Amino acid sequence: MTVITGDATATPVASVAPPAPSAPGGLRRESAWRRRDRRWGYVFIGPQVIGMALFVLLPFVASLVLAFASWDGLTELTWVGFENFTAQIQDELLLRSIGNTLLIALITVPIGLGLAVVIAVALEKLKTRTLYLILFFAPVVTSTVAVAMIWQQMFRVDGVLSETIAKVFGIAPPDWLGDPSLALLAVCIVSIWSSLGLNVIIFLAGLQNISPSVIEAARIDGAGAWRLFRSIRMPLLSPIIFFSSIVAFISSLQTFDTVFVLTADAGPDNATRTIVYHIYDLGFGRFEFGPASAASVILLVLTLVITAIQFGAQKKFVHYEDDAA
Amino acid sequence: MPRANSKMRRLLAVGAASAVMIGLAACSGGGGASDEHTVVWSTWGTPEELTRFEEFNDEFMKRHPDITVELQPVASYSDYHSKLLAQLTSNTAPDVFYIGDDKIGQFVDAKVLAPLTKLMESDASQTHPDDFFPGLFGAAEQDGEIFAAPNDSNPDVLWYDKQALAAAGITEDPAALAEDGEWTTEKYLEMNDKLAAAGLTGSMFWNYWATHYSWISSQGGTAYDDSGAFVGNDDATTVDAVDTLGRYFQDGTFVVADSMPEGAGADSVFVTHKAGFFSQGRYTIGTVESAGEQDSYDIVRWPTPDGQAAPTGVATSYLAINGKTKAKDAAFTFWTEFLSAEGQVFRLQGGGNAVPSIKGADEVVLEDGYPAHAQTFLDMRDIGFEDYAAEAVVPGLSTDVSDLFLKLYEGKADAQGTLDAVAGLVADKTGE
Repeated sequence: MTVITGDATATPVASVAPPAPSAPGGLRRESAWRRRDRRWGYVFIGPQVIGMALFVLLPFVASLVLAFASWDGLTELTWVGFENFTAQIQDELLLRSIGNTLLIALITVPIGLGLAVVIAVALEKLKTRTLYLILFFAPVVTSTVAVAMIWQQMFRVDGVLSETIAKVFGIAPPDWLGDPSLALLAVCIVSIWSSLGLNVIIFLAGLQNISPSVIEAARIDGAGAWRLFRSIRMPLLSPIIFFSSIVAFISSLQTFDTVFVLTADAGPDNATRTIVYHIYDLGFGRFEFGPASAASVILLVLTLVITAIQFGAQKKFVHYEDDAA
Repeated sequence: MPRANSKMRRLLAVGAASAVMIGLAACSGGGGASDEHTVVWSTWGTPEELTRFEEFNDEFMKRHPDITVELQPVASYSDYHSKLLAQLTSNTAPDVFYIGDDKIGQFVDAKVLAPLTKLMESDASQTHPDDFFPGLFGAAEQDGEIFAAPNDSNPDVLWYDKQALAAAGITEDPAALAEDGEWTTEKYLEMNDKLAAAGLTGSMFWNYWATHYSWISSQGGTAYDDSGAFVGNDDATTVDAVDTLGRYFQDGTFVVADSMPEGAGADSVFVTHKAGFFSQGRYTIGTVESAGEQDSYDIVRWPTPDGQAAPTGVATSYLAINGKTKAKDAAFTFWTEFLSAEGQVFRLQGGGNAVPSIKGADEVVLEDGYPAHAQTFLDMRDIGFEDYAAEAVVPGLSTDVSDLFLKLYEGKADAQGTLDAVAGLVADKTGE
């Protein structure tokens, strides 16, 4: 156990003997100091706790309560039981939103993580990888709104992307944001691009953390580059990939800002309407806070179920070094 | 690791606590005046509009040195009402505020707005109820009580491009036909057919209440009855009119402007002479002027079966007074001057983006002599109507109705089915 340093004590807390008459005041001094330190600890975590209580806990509880009420923010609140849930489950728009959101997750998570692994492996031995990391990481630290606005220009019918595709393939320039069959794909492209850098850095760190002796042993056993990747690197990287997939999936289920900026009013024919956009539209577009809260509870349950499925599946695909031992 | 000394810890803790307090204070943002001589008011708007409003504030404070006016602008219309709602809920709302015509009914129903009829009829008023064009109050008037008045208005006229019409071999001028009482639905559709045959877009419309209800009204149909029930599905004239509208959208002669791609949007299609007609308000002057093509454009009212003018939709926004304002007198002084004929002339001159909602300010529309038939704006406003109150009081209902019409335009539903669906939706949402 770590020894707490300082002038008041140099003794590990766990090994402190019961108060002894031979050390009068010593332990009392330490206890007083620890109490004071604890108080300061509370003061330091106070702002964070207040912030969490105000902006996370309170809205969470409020949305759970409002899910069972009818309230427009102006008139009196009335309790409606499970009416909001039954109405939402039958609401075509919510079902469409769930479909779109799952499609975004199913497209962006595998492709985004797969690309990140490939890029991380490619960068691992590169001397100039820092430069590439900066380039890949730039979208992560850039405001999503700014990213979406830049892509909005690129996705225009007369934008660089559409015109290049039209020239290369000799077809009419695609209307990425106006065509219902392309709008969701456009959202996926932006999502993958903007989250790629973070995953590359995480995977690169994971790859560099693999013990050289394991790699060396595999080489001595005759493993080539592909075998090394498939049988050594990937299994050892799998816990990190699993962690990233959990984070990426949850993040995909919460897709909002890209859709909000990139495609006005959730795209043509609600083609890019996601669950969080649906919640926003109900709550802040129509002031229907009850149904909006019910939809957010449905999103919470959906997220929990998907995460539970992922945890269930990890036993098959994720390799922990402890298991091997 | 060296321990931070006690002073440093206190400093850090105070700093962290201050950061939280500043953060929370920043979140609270604005609010109404705390004394009876200060009026805080809020609106959305473009930078040009907001600059004009600040100029209005300056002029107002020169006239009333005892009143301080502060503008709390919100850049985006989509964010505006949610912020206003949060402010009203937390009793920090401005004293005077704009409300969109799609939200006014809900705010009136919630009883958060000050009743204005008596004040408007008082001697201090520069805006008596009769000064406004009656069709513009819409859901702002409930049971004979006025809770807000229209800031200005924008009748959706049919802008037309003379070059596009000529390219399609059309020799008759729509505005001239209207003057002669010969601007019939038959003529209009004939022109659209010619435009389509020439490879051009016939007409472009935004998919919202003013489009479908203007069409129904101009064709002699009835969407809602006096009790507020949707009856369009039981009215043969309405069904026929909607069927015609749907067919022209489905064959591509009419186009939904909302669905046009970025970079090739309705504005750019119109100023490049690729469409014959475009249903929009007076703000289109800015679009055609910036393209340097204003001579090619004029306006005409919606066509009717017999060529005579019929009521069509007029978009507007409203100005209301917070029911809990502490500066009731000052707020009303500001409110009435802002909406008065002088106030509207001050706000609308030069910009050319709207039409006055009050009598006695029409010169701002006519003074530049553009478009050639600018009087049409005024004529359409005089007989026009706001969104039906029955629809406007239910949040999101107007959008849901427009979504149903979109399915018709896309060929996913027929006219009778669409109108039945609208009737069912309205009955469901309004509890009729």
